[in-house]
Amino acid sequence: MGAVYLPSQFGVIFLPLANVQVKPGDKLRITCRYSHIGQADSQPLYAAIGNEGWAGFDEVLHGSKTISMPEDASWNYHEEYVDITITTAISAGFYDLYAKIGGTFPKVISPSLLDVVEVMAETPESEFGEISITDYAKV
Amino acid sequence: MAQYADIVEIVAPGEAAGGSRVDITVRIKNKHSSTIGIMAGGALEYGVSPWPGITFPDLSANVDGGITRSFSGYFTMSDKRVIIHAYSYYYGSDGYWHFDDEMTKTINLTEEIESEFGSIAIISYQRR
Repeated sequence: MGAVYLPSQFGVIFLPLANVQVKPGDKLRITCRYSHIGQADSQPLYAAIGNEGWAGFDEVLHGSKTISMPEDASWNYHEEYVDITITTAISAGFYDLYAKIGGTFPKVISPSLLDVVEVMAETPESEFGEISITDYAKV
Repeated sequence: MAQYADIVEIVAPGEAAGGSRVDITVRIKNKHSSTIGIMAGGALEYGVSPWPGITFPDLSANVDGGITRSFSGYFTMSDKRVIIHAYSYYYGSDGYWHFDDEMTKTINLTEEIESEFGSIAIISYQRR
């Protein structure tokens, strides 16, 4: 089970996160909380499914969208989401998640959540195995 | 030292953002014993020549003896620190406006913080 530590006025909140099961055709909506100060800005919010490793995060699927944040005279928290479309490009198994704000040179990167996404195998197409008569009666 | 139209105060913010409208008030006292015509004026010093002016919608007024009158004005803040120069004039019996007093006040440029991000965390994820 994944978990995230969030700063709050009471210190740090430990927020446990359950695994989610997805299959090709689904969308995974990832909601992020970020802190911002300064002038109003627009930046890409980017999230990816993949595998965290010693060499970094090996992305398999990702989603992004441009988000706008207002001018913040002091540090303020905002929440936004981004969707990742699950395709057949990802095979069944458990995967990690991370998110970031910014383009090629990220402004801020989230901690990775490990093994929180379980990709299920695609449901096979309709297929019939056998048939047999189980009863017969006058109607 | 003013002869008749004594500038008592310039009311203005200590700082303003570049490009924003800055509203000011110049308070001028009639030191004369009877009513005279008083006019306000102003200019902005921030490194350009000639100094840009300050707009006063009601430039002048007849002010009773011993009374202080407020003249409201405004200007657009430059991208540098600005020194306001406020001037007063009185209307003489010769039919001319006479320069009388000057006061200055500095308005600093508000420092704008560029956009900056502190942290980001994934707080939920769900299948749609």
